[in-house]
Amino acid sequence: MAVGSENKVITLICERACDLSSVTDASGEVKEVSGLHVVKLPCSGMIQPLMIEAAMKAGAAGVIVTGCQLGDCYYREGNRMIRDRLLGNRPPGLKKTVDRRRVLALWLARPQKDRFLSEAKEFMHLVKGLGTPTPAPAAASKAAAPAASKAEDKTPEEKAADAKPKVSKDIPVNPDATVDGAKGPER
Amino acid sequence: MYSSIPKGLTDFTLLVEKGTNAIVTNKYNPFYYHGALPQFYLWVLYLSGLLLFAYYIPTIDNAYFSENLVNAWTSVNYITNTIPMGAVIRGIHRYAGDAMVITILLHALRVWVTDRYRQYRWIQWVTGIVLLLLVLFVGQTGYYLVWDERSLILTRMTVSALRVLPFVGPGIAEWFLNGTAITNLTLSNFLFIHIGLSFFLLFGLWLHYVRMTRPVMTPPPAINYILMAVLLLVVFAYPISSGKMADINSTPTSFDIDWFFLFPYYMMAHMDLTVYWVALIGITLAVCFIPLPSLYKAAAPVEAAEVVLSKCVGCRLCSLDCPYMAIEMVPAPAGSRFKLLATVKPYRCSGCGVCVGACAFDAIDLPNLLDSDVTAQIKAMAESQ
Repeated sequence: MAVGSENKVITLICERACDLSSVTDASGEVKEVSGLHVVKLPCSGMIQPLMIEAAMKAGAAGVIVTGCQLGDCYYREGNRMIRDRLLGNRPPGLKKTVDRRRVLALWLARPQKDRFLSEAKEFMHLVKGLGTPTPAPAAASKAAAPAASKAEDKTPEEKAADAKPKVSKDIPVNPDATVDGAKGPER
Repeated sequence: MYSSIPKGLTDFTLLVEKGTNAIVTNKYNPFYYHGALPQFYLWVLYLSGLLLFAYYIPTIDNAYFSENLVNAWTSVNYITNTIPMGAVIRGIHRYAGDAMVITILLHALRVWVTDRYRQYRWIQWVTGIVLLLLVLFVGQTGYYLVWDERSLILTRMTVSALRVLPFVGPGIAEWFLNGTAITNLTLSNFLFIHIGLSFFLLFGLWLHYVRMTRPVMTPPPAINYILMAVLLLVVFAYPISSGKMADINSTPTSFDIDWFFLFPYYMMAHMDLTVYWVALIGITLAVCFIPLPSLYKAAAPVEAAEVVLSKCVGCRLCSLDCPYMAIEMVPAPAGSRFKLLATVKPYRCSGCGVCVGACAFDAIDLPNLLDSDVTAQIKAMAESQ
């Protein structure tokens, strides 16, 4: 796979989700897929939307967020929280300027290394087709749903949310996600 | 992580759950509601128990109605054979108890296999054991209430076992019998223990849920329907019947054993009573000590999250998201621009970093993994070559 700096994909992964330690080198790059880098975190709930924005700003072509299977967080709720943040149902959310097609969310159990690699390769191919990343693409606000629509490990609500072209205000908001019941999620 | 558990066992569990997800989707995967399943059966037990309580008469005999004997056994008989659906309610009450013990054991097993029992979770583990013991004891008292020959043997075995205990034994035995011998008062005491302690379960559950931000207490209705259907299937396939009415003047010697509740009586029958108590208390303590730090080979102790006081704006997002209620919002010190300030209770913190993900102001950090370092690493990766 041809790689330039414009074709780098950063993976933010929970250390308890699929085990990539056998396929990454010391610097965190996946050996068989050049340009695919892995950052391990104790829980996918630790991923800040700011981190995704920082990766995009620094020129990454895409970001893969990987947590354990939904429902099975070691720390109880981490993967649900980052899922809700990516979907805009829980503050803090991703900025509008982030191209949602360049964000992929995968929910994989520890033994699912091969599944991760095949999904990541496909995603890199897709991201490559999107052209050179720009920090603030105009198309971003249109493609509001995360580009993760391919992943089968998704809940029906997520699929519904992905099918919507634009996240509208009437999407049901998790009552826990509002602050003081007054402020809605940031979009 | 997972270091004290055989790796294959954990991977196997994860794969089974993965397979279940493929069939029923994450939302209806019973493995993700393992703690809520016994809770569902608890509600079933309360409801069916309430209905049984309406017709149960806690006496061993009634001299005033000697022609038409009214006692615990005949009232249970009346419930089973005369009241419409009475046998079904009785069966539900009985088998829901068994199902509760099974689901509690599965819950404990999954918690252990997935390594979720130690450090900041020790309260959940220890209260879970207390709850299991309570459930077992309440279940046993249910077997006394039927007042057939088995109840008589169980009562006598319990009394002789209690009397062996040093100092407190005779007193507890007298409390248990509500006197020095089996009388009408004994059965009313059994009924009180059975119902009273079952409500004590709610107190235990409160302790079990303490420090949990959003405990999963209820499975989705679809799972509840299936649990209920399975229960009814067993109720109709294996109807319950009482044994012969207990006669205090007789000494029955053998009974059918219910392995979920009555296994302690098997132990009692086959070992010296002192050995029995030592084994029972020893096993309980041993299980309680499983979360002891020296027994698991943890990678690293938890390093609690730390609030950057100068950056915190008091928005409460971290305290809302913390899964262990480890973040408390306190009034900000005088002179602050904001009303609230986040503080971390280190003994509750799991070091998971969900608060870091919740903070849009970089105001909370894991000491061993600063989010600024993570961002720097991400930038370096994206910008390299």
